[in-house]
Order: sequence, then C-alpha cells, then structure tokens
Amino acid sequence: MIRRLLIANRGEIALRVARTCRELGIEVVAVHSTADGDAPVLALADEAVCIGPPAAKESYLNIPNIVEAARQAGADAVHPGYGFLSEDPDFAEVCTANGLVFVGPDPEVMARLGNKAVVRGLMASAGLPLLPGTEDPVETVEDGERIAAEIGYPVIIKAAAGGGGRGMTVVPAASEFRAAYHATRASAHAVFRDSTVYLEKFLTGARHVEIQVLCDRHGNGIHLGERDCSVQRRHQKLVEEAPSTRLDAALRAEMGAAAVRGALSVGYSGAGTMEFLVDDGGRFYFMELNARIQVEHPVTEMVTGVDLVAEQIRVAGGAPLSLSQSEVEISGAAIECRINAEDPGLSFAPTPGVLERLDLPGGPWTRVDAGYLPGSRVSPYYDSLLAKVVVWGPDRPAALARMDRALTEIRVHGRGISTTAGFHRAVLRHPVFAAGEHTIHFVDEMLAGEMGTGGDPAQRHAGAGRQAADTMELLVDDATAVTA
Amino acid sequence: MSEPAEDDHAAILHALTQEVAAVAKLSGAVRRVAMQAAGHSVEVEWSDTEAQAVPARVPDQEPRLEERDDVVVVRAPLVGTFYTAPQPGAPPFVSVGETVEKGQTLAIVEAMKLMNPLLAECDGTVDEVLVGNGEPVEFDQPLMVVAKGDSGKGEGGP
Repeated sequence: MIRRLLIANRGEIALRVARTCRELGIEVVAVHSTADGDAPVLALADEAVCIGPPAAKESYLNIPNIVEAARQAGADAVHPGYGFLSEDPDFAEVCTANGLVFVGPDPEVMARLGNKAVVRGLMASAGLPLLPGTEDPVETVEDGERIAAEIGYPVIIKAAAGGGGRGMTVVPAASEFRAAYHATRASAHAVFRDSTVYLEKFLTGARHVEIQVLCDRHGNGIHLGERDCSVQRRHQKLVEEAPSTRLDAALRAEMGAAAVRGALSVGYSGAGTMEFLVDDGGRFYFMELNARIQVEHPVTEMVTGVDLVAEQIRVAGGAPLSLSQSEVEISGAAIECRINAEDPGLSFAPTPGVLERLDLPGGPWTRVDAGYLPGSRVSPYYDSLLAKVVVWGPDRPAALARMDRALTEIRVHGRGISTTAGFHRAVLRHPVFAAGEHTIHFVDEMLAGEMGTGGDPAQRHAGAGRQAADTMELLVDDATAVTA
Repeated sequence: MSEPAEDDHAAILHALTQEVAAVAKLSGAVRRVAMQAAGHSVEVEWSDTEAQAVPARVPDQEPRLEERDDVVVVRAPLVGTFYTAPQPGAPPFVSVGETVEKGQTLAIVEAMKLMNPLLAECDGTVDEVLVGNGEPVEFDQPLMVVAKGDSGKGEGGP
C-alpha cells in the first residue's frame, strides 16, 4: 500500500500524477531543479525538495539526489513519469534497493526491454508479427546492404538503444545506404553510447497505431484499445486520437490480444504501450514497447473512463487490476493536441521565454494538462511541451469541431514565444486528416504542399531523403530532450 | 457582408491608436499594448511591479546575503544530511567566530552513505551556521556564512 509518493519528474506529467495521488489520498513529494522553483506541482505537494541545478543531468536525472530526497521526505514510492529516468532500469533498481516502490515494471524486465533488438526477438517468440528486417544487430555495412536488398527499399536504419523517434534514418535507395549506415551508427554512438543498429522495411502509407496495456503482478493483463499517432513530424507525435479510423472492432480485438500476449510474455507489469504500424490492408507490425506512462495517455482515459495513473499506482502497490477486459468499453472519440512552445515557421524551433499571458481552453469535455502558469518561464533546459489539450466527443467529427473550438481559446503572449496551436488547427481542418485518410507521412506532405513543392510521389521520395539528411541534426537537437 | 475597404481599416486603426493613447495616459507605466484592427480591439497592460522579476522561492534572509560581497554563502552541493562534526559526539569541524583557511573542511553532507566534505572557498571567519546538525538539506540550500578575510581590514563604510 503506497502512502507517500515522490514524483521524479517535472511539468505537466508531475502535476498529472500529483492530482491522481491526491484523489487516492496518497501524499505527494515533488522534486524540482532550481529552474522550476515556481512549478505548479509544488502547490499540490505535501513536501518539495530541490534536487539540483537546471541541467537535467544534474537534477531530474540525478539518481542519488532523487533517492536522497525520497528518503528525507519519507516517501515509500517513486513515480518516474515519462522521459528522464522512467525507463532506466538502474534507477528502478536503486529505488527498490532503498525500500522504495518503483511505479513501473520490475528492474529486470526493464533491463531486457531497454534494447529494441532484444525486444523484437522476444515479441517474435510471443507470436507478434514484425516488419521484415533484422531482429539482430547489423554489424557491417555489407551485411546491411545485403539485408536491405532482400527486404527491399525503402528501409529504415534504427539505433537499438534509440526511442521516442530518435536515432533512425530512412534510406530510399541502395546508393544512399552506405552513408546513412555510417551516419546512424556514429550518431547512435554519440547520443546513446551504443552504436548498435538494425534494419526494417520502411512501410509507405502506414499508420502509427499503439495499444495501451495494463498488467498487474498477478499475471493479469488487459488492453484499453488504441491510439492513432500518425500525425508526426520527424517521428515526434503532434496529434493523437482514439479510436483509429484504420481499425474496426475485429482488428482492434486482434491487435489488443496480441499486445497483451506480448506484454505478459516478458513479465510486464504496470501501464505500457505497444507500438504498431498498420498498413492499408490492415496488416499490423510490432514496432516497440514503451515501458512507461505516455504523453498521450489522456486520449485513452477519455474514451475508456479509466485513470491509467491510478491503475499504475495500484498495480505497483501489489493490488490486482481494478477491471477486467470485458469491463473495458470504448466510448465516443477523443483527440489530443500537444501545444508546444515552438515556432512552426522556423522548423519548429523551441521558443523559450516568459509566459506573460497564458489563456488555456476550458468548457465541456475539454481537458487541459499544462505544466505552466501565467508568468512562468519556459526554460530552454527542458522540452517545449506547454500544454496538452484533450477533448472528447460522441464521434470523430464532434471531437474535431470541439478541438477546433478549444484551440481558438488559446492565447499565449511573451517575448519571443510562439506556439503550435495555429499549426494544429491547420492539421485538423486539412481535408485528408478530416477524412481520416492520412498516413505517418501526413505532416511532411502537408508542409511540403504548403511550401509549393506539390505532393507527387517523386517529391515525397525527396521528402524521405531530406528526412534522412536531417536525422543527424535531429539526434543532436534532441539529445537533451525528454518528450516521450 | 463585404470586407471593410482599405479606408475603413485606416480609420479603425486611427481610432484605435487614439483610444490607446488616451487610455495609456491614465496612470502608471505601460507594459504592453495590443491592438487589433478589424476586430476593433484595444488592450493595455500596466506594469505590475510586484510581479516583476520575483526570484524563485528563496529564504527571506538570502537576498541580503547575496548583496553582501564581504561574505561567502556555503550552499548544499547535493541533497543529503548536514553534519557539523565528523562523527556523533566528536567536536564540530568549525564553530561560529572561528577563523578558517581556504580548503579547510567546514562540514559534511552525507548522501547515499557517502560523506561529501564542504571546503572553505577562502580564508575567513565562520559568521553563521544556518542548519542544525543532522538536518536534511536540499540542493542549493544555504548552510553557512563565512566572512571573507582573517585580518580586520574592513572597508569602513558608513
């Protein structure tokens, strides 16, 4: 039974976890860096401890300081949120060794899930379909070229230690393989200290559909349907929705069952997400397993009425899941927009600064998870997520109309600060998205269209090439980012 | 409904400008002005001196200490437990009024069973110990104040 929980995170997710703790009667210990002394979560905390300077490496990634803070404050559990230490098996192990319940899977399970290539092997053993490609690391450029020729271009080279859209390169043709292989390995080594890479077929026309699973420590597992996260830019999710327009009830049940089977096969417990690609023909391929609560989890909460953080905490405390598969009901449609402090006109460059004005939406079936208050400073040290706006509607058109209304209520002023709210409205109103016919290339195509390069297949190919060329930059840009 | 003509825009803008100028004269220093032409909107924000440049959560005495350049504030370099002596029952490393040399151990902060000595940054005199022995401390918390210099050569200010 968890009584006093330390939240080892910041921003909106720290606040999100604190709110559920209060609802459950669990005391909250908040931690913060010297740059976050005015964070809204501190007002909800029973105790707050400063754990380091602004740089995440010395504060939110500082295991000794966080564990000391937990000890000092008398916490009996730690919730890692997403990003930062949420998928660090060492952190989970140190917590356990210090008598703290880690809200997440067991450290040994996390350690095995840390390597994507290993996870693919485990999921293949559990009978989950994988994209054609290697499950094992590709050791030489010659091996890579041979495998790529077998599975057919375009292929994608992925860093085994990568995640959250980082450490991957799309290779459109054989002539570009050698350079992309070396660049991805070098980047992976620089960013993750692990140059191991593997290869997959790159599906065109695919949708990113992920299944939310919940497992307890008694061998029970359920799924709570899917989230469609196909609206991505450089593999970073911008809009998420449930249900997916690509899935029918039969496919949902099939993917859900596969996800639960895969999670239970590795001894998973807590909330987890199985990411899949789904092609035009309704074939689905396992991508990765995210062993944490995800940024977009409210979408699932809106359509199921299940508090995922509450379930995480219950399960971590040893209790069985509070509901069975037959009690999970998907109702209506929900959509989330991640409002980032970024300038879409400048390649989505982050725009830190002071939020002199911050008006966020409200109203019926409109949920806003924000980590800032008016007057707060958006620090250049952390990710640029300003607020998540989530709405529910009885069907998709109603949800889209509601989101459009909500987005118009956003007013953000501050020197140098821009937001992606306007960009989100453009996405929602785009006929391809509105019709639910978009793919994971939608944002690239939309941006290319706006720049007047048209949407013919040749140009799309050029887009993939540009994406590949930008990967180095992406890796460097995102080396300190922590968005899930 | 037709779009307002160019002239109408100019007229609206002119009226808004007049309005802003009038409102801005009312009182105080203007911090921000927002105008919108077609929507006929005027927004003026006055300076809110309280809300400006408030440093994040600092103990009351800290600004005063910060302003003084004759002292060094020793701060916690990590989260842990503050100890003034090497072990229970032993005499403290230093006491208030005691002269210290640069590099001398002033206290320790224990974390994860590791003892982290706090060393004097300069020669001086222990002016104040702000935290009790055995108390938990957070990162950056002021722990001790050391007056710089060991001779009595004060600046002799007013």
